[in-house]
Amino acid sequence: MTSRLRSEKQEPGPLPEPFKVNCQTEVEVKHGVGLHARPSVTFTRLAKSFPCSIEIAVNGSDVWLNGKSIIKIMGAKIRKGSILRIRADGILAEEAIRALKELIERNFDEEKKHGRTA
Amino acid sequence: MAEPLRLKAKSASPGIASGPAFLAERPGAAPAPQTAGGYGALEMAIDISIGELERLAEGADPESRDIIDFQIEVLRDPSIAEATGARVEVDENVVFAWVATLDAYIGELETADEEQMRARAVDILDIKNRVLGALAGTPIADFPPGSVFVGKDMEPSRFLAHDWSKGGGIALFSGSTAGHVALLARAKAVPMVVGTGRFSAEDGDPVRVDGDAGAVVLQAGRMLIPPLVPTQAPAGDTQIERVELRTADGVPILISININDPAEIDSLDPATAGVGLMRSEFSIASIADAANEERQLAIYRRVLEQAGEKPVIIRMLDIGGDKPLVGLEDLPALDSGLRGTRLLLARPEIARVQARALLRAAAFGGLSVMLPMVTFPDEIDRMREIFREEAEKLGRRSLLHRMPPIGMMVEVPAAALMLDTFGSAAFFSFGTNDLTQYLAATARDDLEADAGKTAPAVLRLIAQAVKLAAGKPVSICGDRAGDPHYLPGLLAAGLRHFSVAPARRPAIRSAITGFNADGTRAAGE
Repeated sequence: MTSRLRSEKQEPGPLPEPFKVNCQTEVEVKHGVGLHARPSVTFTRLAKSFPCSIEIAVNGSDVWLNGKSIIKIMGAKIRKGSILRIRADGILAEEAIRALKELIERNFDEEKKHGRTA
Repeated sequence: MAEPLRLKAKSASPGIASGPAFLAERPGAAPAPQTAGGYGALEMAIDISIGELERLAEGADPESRDIIDFQIEVLRDPSIAEATGARVEVDENVVFAWVATLDAYIGELETADEEQMRARAVDILDIKNRVLGALAGTPIADFPPGSVFVGKDMEPSRFLAHDWSKGGGIALFSGSTAGHVALLARAKAVPMVVGTGRFSAEDGDPVRVDGDAGAVVLQAGRMLIPPLVPTQAPAGDTQIERVELRTADGVPILISININDPAEIDSLDPATAGVGLMRSEFSIASIADAANEERQLAIYRRVLEQAGEKPVIIRMLDIGGDKPLVGLEDLPALDSGLRGTRLLLARPEIARVQARALLRAAAFGGLSVMLPMVTFPDEIDRMREIFREEAEKLGRRSLLHRMPPIGMMVEVPAAALMLDTFGSAAFFSFGTNDLTQYLAATARDDLEADAGKTAPAVLRLIAQAVKLAAGKPVSICGDRAGDPHYLPGLLAAGLRHFSVAPARRPAIRSAITGFNADGTRAAGE
């Protein structure tokens, strides 16, 4: 049981010092419709595959949103041209940032999935 | 061959039934329902729902897959878990906390600027209902139609889930004639006895329930008791009724029916004034149902549409006291005095879901809402405020709804005595069991035994209260309304509107024509 409802906040857990990594990047969204349902699902699923915490802030906002939450990501109104800051904290933070940034630069693999152009 | 064993019992519902015994485990022996409202059960229901969705996704086309993937992702959303946790911290039940979190999100989506966002609201609604369905789970195991239920006690939801059209009856070791299953059994004309004491029988042993004489007959050694003629009382009136009913001296009287199970609405016929009482707690079997706005809406809507033009009074959840809601009974906040409207106001998350379902149902017929166990006038005002707030939210979401008249049960003596101060109630309806119990300090189980002695006090209180009602619609929907024995007293108290179980209606109807409006017997009777 993942205790999904109870213990999300403890998620990264106490870490030995060498693994504590803090990492941040910035990327522009070029996808035509921004982060609607399908690309949001792709994003949060990838984010959830990393153990570190992942947060995003949109267009210079200082409100950081949980990058693993579909409702936060969809509610953030990320559109074409939005600047996304992504930060990660914990195990595999660097890898997480790299993978998420690449996903956005690949336009969320939309073309690959449905043969559409962004 | 052993002699048949005849055990003395109390009759809880008339009629005679025989059939193979079905031996129930003692209710409460199964630990499962205790956790139905807890974290563990909700998490399990979410897991079950995710599993179902994953299976659905396997064969789906890409478009459907997208929707299902989105739904699964919402079910796994950590921020929903956080918001739910925050609500639980302030003492909300976890199921309602989770539902309220999703509802808030659904509300946001519905009012979004972009069509693409608005279209997602229904996806979330869909998963909410899927999870609540999984949480409600499979109902308690049913027993074979035609058999005689033998056990210590019986859960109302088990009664309601059973098919009684094949006959059968109920014999309870303990139980009460004033209990809720007894009430259901009388309404459905299912023979029932209580208080048999514990007796031993094998599953399938032929058993006869004599609800007329108050006995249960056991045939030892598996010898068949010859089946009796069908046990059901006549389902409806055999002769044609005048649509308008009058006392012997010509005063018009209204008869409505009380229903527990939405299916009973089918016994509403043209001679009936409408539904005087629908006890919503019997269609809401668990906390998962109580949290399920759509399911409640569907039930209420079915009743209202079937009733057509006729008025339907639906009573809000009367839970607490001797009527627990599966999944809510373990909450420490629920002390024994907290029931009826008081409980709903103490747990507004429950009231709000029901208020929304009722507001939306009201658009489909002549709905009035009745509050159970009201003690003080401010309870009406506070509930009305909840309806107002929820109506406003529905309005913002452009959902069809209508504000129904809100009335109250008069079943607490303090309310009956002060009825003139309940200006904000649109109508009144007397409930006699609780009124008697609280007025005469009797135990619910002893109500029948003392009925004769308590009747004068109850009738005097009702007569005074009818005067205090100052012309507002007044009716009586309690057990006494369906007992011809009390009819003269109730007529004399000024009551002109009786709401009774469908099975009691013919008897009351014919009795009324034999009395004058002041309760005196008509000349020549």
